[in-house]
Amino acid sequence: MIRVKNPQDFWAGVLFLAVGSGGVWFGREYDIGVIMRMGPGYLPRVLSLALIGIGLLLALRALALAGPAIQRSLVRPQVFILAAIVVFALMIERFGLAPAVFVAAIVAAAASREMRWIEAAALAFALATGTIVLFIYLLGQSMEKWIF
Amino acid sequence: MDLLQNLAIGFGGALSPINLLFALFGCLIGTLIGVLPGIGPIATIAMLLPITFGLSPLGSLIMLAGIYYGAQYGGSTTAILVNLPGESSAVVTCIEGYRMAQKGRAGAALAVAAVGSFFAGCVGTILIAAFAPILAKFAEQFRSPEYFSLMLFGLIAAVVLAHGSVVKAVAMIVLGLLIGLIGTDSQSGVARLTFGVPELYDGVDFVPVAMGLFGFAEIMTNLDRPSSERKATSPVTSLWPTRQEARRAIPSVLRGTAVGSFLGILPGGGAVLSSFAAYTLEKKVSRWSAEFGSGAVEGVAGPEAANNAGAQASFIPLLTLGIPSTPVMALMMGAMTIQGIAPGTAIITERPALFWGMIASMWIGNLMLVVINLPLIGIWVKLLKVPYRILFPTILVFCSVGAYSINSSTFLILMMAGFALLGYVFAKLGCEGAPFLLGFVLGPLMEENLRRSMVLSFGDPIIFVQRPISLCFLLLSLGLVLLIVLPQFRQTREEAFQE
Repeated sequence: MIRVKNPQDFWAGVLFLAVGSGGVWFGREYDIGVIMRMGPGYLPRVLSLALIGIGLLLALRALALAGPAIQRSLVRPQVFILAAIVVFALMIERFGLAPAVFVAAIVAAAASREMRWIEAAALAFALATGTIVLFIYLLGQSMEKWIF
Repeated sequence: MDLLQNLAIGFGGALSPINLLFALFGCLIGTLIGVLPGIGPIATIAMLLPITFGLSPLGSLIMLAGIYYGAQYGGSTTAILVNLPGESSAVVTCIEGYRMAQKGRAGAALAVAAVGSFFAGCVGTILIAAFAPILAKFAEQFRSPEYFSLMLFGLIAAVVLAHGSVVKAVAMIVLGLLIGLIGTDSQSGVARLTFGVPELYDGVDFVPVAMGLFGFAEIMTNLDRPSSERKATSPVTSLWPTRQEARRAIPSVLRGTAVGSFLGILPGGGAVLSSFAAYTLEKKVSRWSAEFGSGAVEGVAGPEAANNAGAQASFIPLLTLGIPSTPVMALMMGAMTIQGIAPGTAIITERPALFWGMIASMWIGNLMLVVINLPLIGIWVKLLKVPYRILFPTILVFCSVGAYSINSSTFLILMMAGFALLGYVFAKLGCEGAPFLLGFVLGPLMEENLRRSMVLSFGDPIIFVQRPISLCFLLLSLGLVLLIVLPQFRQTREEAFQE
């Protein structure tokens, strides 16, 4: 059985390999052209192939040379942070600024294990007010404060 | 004299009350974000970009310059007081600065850092004012092949100066270049790799990339660490250095400024390299070299001055050649493009008021940091005590609203979440975001110049070697590559980044 001796490099290599392959696949219909007149597909193809090459190199080298382990990753904070951004994106147009900010702030606060509900609600309220003042009144952005 | 006349134009624009206000506001808010633990200038500028979009071009550049200096100053504050570097150039400040703070000299370290930076900033400003027009004149001879070779040189320098694995840095640049090519091809009008998303036809928007990769990914990596690992703040008593500290700091500031001004012009990590080089130099020449590692004032003064001089000098390639040499400059370029300004040789002749106004504002920004910001240190220290569980939702919300306010696009926010995840994965895999950002910004420019060169030469790559200036850049690039391959240099590089 082959052992991965350098997990960071190995997975980075896999990532680059995947993106490079994606680039080749999705760019397969673009005209490559000739070197004198490069088509729109020329550089994307070259760069994708380069990524594949580097990815392979990294992944294979990681089987031979030892390297640092990947640091532990907590699931909770990452999920809640990403969820907060997505929630904001989905709410801003339908409900307006204040509700979107309020909910996003609470979801974000839940990313920390030290979260306290009352504190988070107070913070979310303050942020909703603060963003309205800053972005709508001070910066004059045309955003709806709230939509019912 | 031309120089004075030009500076007069600049100060005329920059000293208007409204622009002074922008500079002040930029400095304050830059410090406010920059002082937050673990958040360096790149993340700070990325987060604050949207608030400058509504302003006039000069106003927004002035504010951005203020944000930049504020963020740097805030970063060194955190480095000195909590031993948390916001970015790689502040790592050096941590070494001696934090030790000084532990000995009860935190105030003196902060003051020396600020005044040293101010001095270096003044020299840097004069340097830009003096050399930028000359360099721009020289750059007028540049055609596509020269630009392509120059950008190649810049990218290679970025690899050599990035810390960590060389192979991964190369991969990050290539990835950045590839992502940069997404969007409608300027020559054939074909929409490339857009997956039918109309928002991508104009290319991947700069702000979500920068915010996601640097701002949000930072928060996500921070949350992986238990809160107990975050350190206590050293108290700040008097800001005044003792007479002896001042005497020892002055020559270091001078040396640091010289080192930084020289190295900062180089493409790549000007500021980082400058501060490391200055630290090594101070350690070598100082009469108190035994004190290094236990809080030597030279170790704060030299690198901080070098850092700032380097940061200032790195504006030169951007303003004269239109090529960002560092990630921060890539952000500046993004901001300029959004304002409808194309950085490059033409900017000096076509928009002198803007160009000189910006240079003047750099100096004003530096001055404000010392006069207004330093006395406010008490407030910034208090900010360090705000618990992270309050800080990060606040940052997240303001960034999201800021990103949305650019062009009211839900898609961009979702893309930002995607880049946040990507940035987090990169951090876990030990891949640097900075080379990615440089590649991303340079991608379309490089493609255009490469294609034009190939048309010029009827597809013969020899054109890059035939033209003397282009050949020079290629030889320099080759030299850098050799340096990295040579075992000796490699060792020094690894040692330098380990310290």
